[in-house]
Amino acid sequence: MPSSNNKHHLKDYAPIVTAGVINEIEELARLLGPAKIVNVNSTKEGGGVAEILGWFIPILEDLGMTVEWKVITGNTEFFTITKKFHNALHGQPEEFTQEMFDSYLDNVGKNAPPIPDDADFVVIHDPQPVAMIAQYPNRSNRWAWRCHIDLSEADLRVWGFLRPFVERYDGAVFHLPQYTKNLMSPQFILPPAIDPLAPKNEELTDDEVTAILYRLGVPRDKRIILQVARFDRLKDPFGAIRAFKLVRSWYDCRLILAGGSATDDPEGQAVLAEITDMAGDDPDIHILNLPPDSHREINALQRAAAVVIQNSRREGFGLTVTEAMWKAKPVVGTDIGGIRHQIIHGTSGFLIHSVEGLAYRIRQLFGNPEMARRFGIQAREYVRNNLLVPHHIRRWLLVFHSLKQKGNDDLITLPPHEITE
Amino acid sequence: MAKPFHFYTEQGIVYYSGYKADNLRSLLTGLRGVPSSSIFYHLYHSLLRRHFTTTDYMNDFAQWVWGVLWQKTLGEKLASFDPLEFTRLRDARARLIEIVDAYVGETEYFLRVSEEQAFYFLCIKSFVYPLGVQVSTLPELMQAIQIISPHSLFYHLIESRLRLREPSNDLSDWLKTELDMPDLAVTINAFSPYEYNLEELRNKIMAAIQDAIK
Repeated sequence: MPSSNNKHHLKDYAPIVTAGVINEIEELARLLGPAKIVNVNSTKEGGGVAEILGWFIPILEDLGMTVEWKVITGNTEFFTITKKFHNALHGQPEEFTQEMFDSYLDNVGKNAPPIPDDADFVVIHDPQPVAMIAQYPNRSNRWAWRCHIDLSEADLRVWGFLRPFVERYDGAVFHLPQYTKNLMSPQFILPPAIDPLAPKNEELTDDEVTAILYRLGVPRDKRIILQVARFDRLKDPFGAIRAFKLVRSWYDCRLILAGGSATDDPEGQAVLAEITDMAGDDPDIHILNLPPDSHREINALQRAAAVVIQNSRREGFGLTVTEAMWKAKPVVGTDIGGIRHQIIHGTSGFLIHSVEGLAYRIRQLFGNPEMARRFGIQAREYVRNNLLVPHHIRRWLLVFHSLKQKGNDDLITLPPHEITE
Repeated sequence: MAKPFHFYTEQGIVYYSGYKADNLRSLLTGLRGVPSSSIFYHLYHSLLRRHFTTTDYMNDFAQWVWGVLWQKTLGEKLASFDPLEFTRLRDARARLIEIVDAYVGETEYFLRVSEEQAFYFLCIKSFVYPLGVQVSTLPELMQAIQIISPHSLFYHLIESRLRLREPSNDLSDWLKTELDMPDLAVTINAFSPYEYNLEELRNKIMAAIQDAIK
């Protein structure tokens, strides 16, 4: 089973979200009982799903659940097909043949990990393993399909192929309402979360930040504009470079594009080559291709940045935005997907619609440091109240309670706590 | 001996109702047809979600009408709508429909927005459960108020009026009937969630209790 990196207990978050919040979550777990939960995804490391499961599972175990994490395996062809699914579900044009759909099903049939009969809940993450449910027609446990991507412009062929499998689930879980589809089963809205105690988000001293940037070859002599994202066309690093050049005609600054590739992302290397070529010899543009475990490096870069940008054309939720907000940074991001649900425009950051808009708002923040500081404070408070690990745990416990519930009432009173003298 | 006050909390998981609106007419259709938990989520629960930050409009309907549809007059009418005046969701819904219907009746052209900007009517499945915290005196109440979560504060100060169909919150009711402290009951009931966020409300309640203890 893939190992998790989190060494924290739920109570460790009490100083951040308050003990009252933690107590409520513990009570919610107690009322659910000692459930067995199986998670299935496609990769052990790299990408947001593996990162979330890394802290999600130990905390559920801490709360008395038994949790297993299984991975669907496959050859290069399988992951090439599922990457095409990913792109097509985001609305990008992709070619498919019937053989590819058959090959996908064949791989799932051969390589899907077995689900134990005594599992109470099974959570399948993203399209790679979604067809697994067909192997369990007589199941007695509850299955939820957790979709981590933006389905609002999904290719109809691919969605048409996957939908019959999704319809078999007892519930589907999406980041945002815009990603829901016409399904008969309940569609829960559950944003992802970040771990404030993980190396990517824990506090760093200024000396630590400087030392890490020095090691990365990034001077701290000028204001830094930062984008953290996989090297993927959907993240539009090209637009980020164009916006930076516009800003630089006003303010002396640096652009850092920090990213890497997940093990299930074959086309990242091609995009990296293109943006390296576009940046050329410009000493103020730093393209950092970082390994998947570069959490402290990302942390330091975000803390060193004056402004963080997210110039994505498509974004499932945008946890890199959440991370930057947690570090009290003003974020300028495209008005799409999860970015627009996190940034309160004009209060905790700016939402933009063009490269020129991106440049304009960066200039505005550079020209008004007090506004940038206020935005950062509001941004951090938003994350503290909504998008941290304890809130994610709470929401999943509520999903499990809902899946367990008989009937469709929207107001449920849970059994009383035994009051001991 | 006063009956103890038991603290509860409400935790909800949000799900999509199946309705969405892309202009005022479809907003009105949604207001008429969605489950009552959707009215609760967008009108009352928004107070909990936004309590810590300053935004122009406190309920989701007002924000969408003003910020996305650019119907500023209707946006202001919806923003000034106080859901705490109502003890029944159906009455709050009826008043909302009345406001939007009157505006729609006077309007000739309706801006239609894209799917990404549409208003998605969300519902909330609410789980109410006791926290195992009970108090019988003011000092005990003070200690409990200090530690309960924003969700529990929200449940007792705002949501309890709907659940119990009473014009005042259940904590004020208890102070009046069990501890015979009507003045403190009125003071706490008067604290407005529009003027203060939940943490500020917590502090104000503690200050009021502290004064009463003296």
